[in-house]
Amino acid sequence: MKPERKKDRRDFVRGAAAVLIGGAVMSAARSRSPRLVWQLDPEKCTQCGRCATHCVLAPSAVKCFHSYSICGYCDLCGGYLRPDAKSRDTGAENQLCPTAAITRTFIESPYYQYTIDEDLCIGCGICVKGCDVFGNGSMYMQVKHDLCVNCNECAIARSCPSDAFKRVPASDPYILKSDRERRIS
Amino acid sequence: MKQRFINLIVALPILILCGWLSIVLLSRWFAPDPSFQFARSLPGADGGPPASERDAAEELDIDLSGTLETYDGVPSGLPGAWPRFRGADFDNISKANVKLADSWPESGPEVLWSVELGEGHAAPVVFNGCVYVFDYDETARADALRCFSLADGSEIWRRSYALPAKRNHGLSRTIPAVTEDCIVTIGPRCHVSCVETKTGAFKWGIDLQRDYGTTEPLWFTGQCPLIDGNLAILAPAGPDALLMAVDCKSGEVVWKAPNPNAWKMSHSSIMPITLHGEEMYVYAAIGGMSGISKEGKVLWDIPWKASVIAPSPVPVSENRIFITGGYGAGSLMVEIDKTADGYAAREIARHGPKEWLASEQQTPILRNGLLYGIMPKDGGALKQQFVCYDPAGGELVWSSGKTHRFGLGPFFLADGRFFVLDDDGTLTMLAESRTGYEQLAQHRVLDGHDAWGPIALAGTRMLLRDSTRMVCIEVGGE
Repeated sequence: MKPERKKDRRDFVRGAAAVLIGGAVMSAARSRSPRLVWQLDPEKCTQCGRCATHCVLAPSAVKCFHSYSICGYCDLCGGYLRPDAKSRDTGAENQLCPTAAITRTFIESPYYQYTIDEDLCIGCGICVKGCDVFGNGSMYMQVKHDLCVNCNECAIARSCPSDAFKRVPASDPYILKSDRERRIS
Repeated sequence: MKQRFINLIVALPILILCGWLSIVLLSRWFAPDPSFQFARSLPGADGGPPASERDAAEELDIDLSGTLETYDGVPSGLPGAWPRFRGADFDNISKANVKLADSWPESGPEVLWSVELGEGHAAPVVFNGCVYVFDYDETARADALRCFSLADGSEIWRRSYALPAKRNHGLSRTIPAVTEDCIVTIGPRCHVSCVETKTGAFKWGIDLQRDYGTTEPLWFTGQCPLIDGNLAILAPAGPDALLMAVDCKSGEVVWKAPNPNAWKMSHSSIMPITLHGEEMYVYAAIGGMSGISKEGKVLWDIPWKASVIAPSPVPVSENRIFITGGYGAGSLMVEIDKTADGYAAREIARHGPKEWLASEQQTPILRNGLLYGIMPKDGGALKQQFVCYDPAGGELVWSSGKTHRFGLGPFFLADGRFFVLDDDGTLTMLAESRTGYEQLAQHRVLDGHDAWGPIALAGTRMLLRDSTRMVCIEVGGE
């Protein structure tokens, strides 16, 4: 039987050096791999409504984004007005958004601008569906990263029926619809 | 006894205090209106004009004779023609005996020339070596019929008339009809004009809104005019005339077909269709579809509620017509029966956009008994896919799959292959197949967006456009 060698000071220094070097290597490797965050691909999104109901936050961290370079500034806006709206105005009975999170402002005949009130938006996607069916698709959903807590396993991603959620680099956290918007951001 | 009295003396103030506190708290709980922070959403908060003012028809007094400018371009001697919307036979199929390339080099088909256009979707026609586009000049604020050389795209002449119009998902939308003698156009705000084909000299003009009570459709006019012999066939869909025929030489109205159902003008175009051996004009208006005899008599009609109709009617058999629309309209299959005193239209099938072939903008193509089209945005899993349906059996034969979607893309058929353009200007060549999607080549030929104008082919030169640019590409083969 081989007698057990007593660990001396040299062994301790070797071990400490190995731990230090290994730690440094791991730290360097980690700093090179990008930090990832959750985002949803607007091309895959089917506006099922689960972003509003499945997020761990209430209201959801998913909000409606509006691309002004795509918007037609229409009087008859499919994202703002209910399909059976009696008139094209700001009356509650004509608005599609359940929380009145979209503001309609007259610019000049026949153009109207639509802005999203992020505090009121619950991420239900009803306006996005309306805009997609009757308009240019200028409204779309995105995870807002100043609100998202970036769960390891995103509750919305787990329930998303169209696989629209994916991990993207934190340095480029949004999937914006138009090139012009991308350049501005 | 004394102890009970002391307890009562102590408890009474406490009970009174608790009661008073309860009353105060409950009154504070119930007193305020819980909706005091709510704001009412009332009409007029957008600062816009009232609906009555917005919807009032704008009085336009347009001098349709306009002005003619001439340039250095000359007509080319190149062969081939694409004289109207959906080509010579109204089926969007090129019958010219021209061999097209089976594949494209990595750099794509050669771009021969390109020209800048006003924002819109108006597509060209080609006749006797000239390319005609009914454009909107945003700088001059004028409708402009422009004539280019097919050889190099140099402009030959331009006839324009001043017209106030503001961008509304583009401005121009319509395709002229051209013959040896004349070109007929319909402008975005329902102005019809006729000019000489070679010189651009003005012949006559009609303001459909002012003279026939036409309601300007959403996003301007999309109807492409039809020339049948010496007559221009138009669909004003006003109170007194659903369709009318105008003598191309004189501009005189030859006949008017009544509009008893008060249907409105759609973006659809009049199609000459032969049913039971009789050629008639079929038009899908907002409200329904109708068949009009060549003398202007209403032969049959059938109601169909669709808020927007851009595709045109397609005959699928000797007595059946297919019509589709976007924005939730879906599609309708109609059978026209011969009766003792004329014709009767009968609904055979009505489908939602997720259930059967539907289209938002482009008219489907019937080829060898099968219908080909691009599904609309609300087409469910098939949205924006190129699809093939069997109108007889009713089944989906094949689709391009979820990795091949084409937006609202225009498409047509030539030399046994489909050419499909997507919204961003990527042109895809497909084999004409009865069994499945077979992609032969793909290349981005336009840099812009909203490439929705139909494609034209003259000889081996293909003309395509996006929202602001038209290109001419060479697609000929060995």
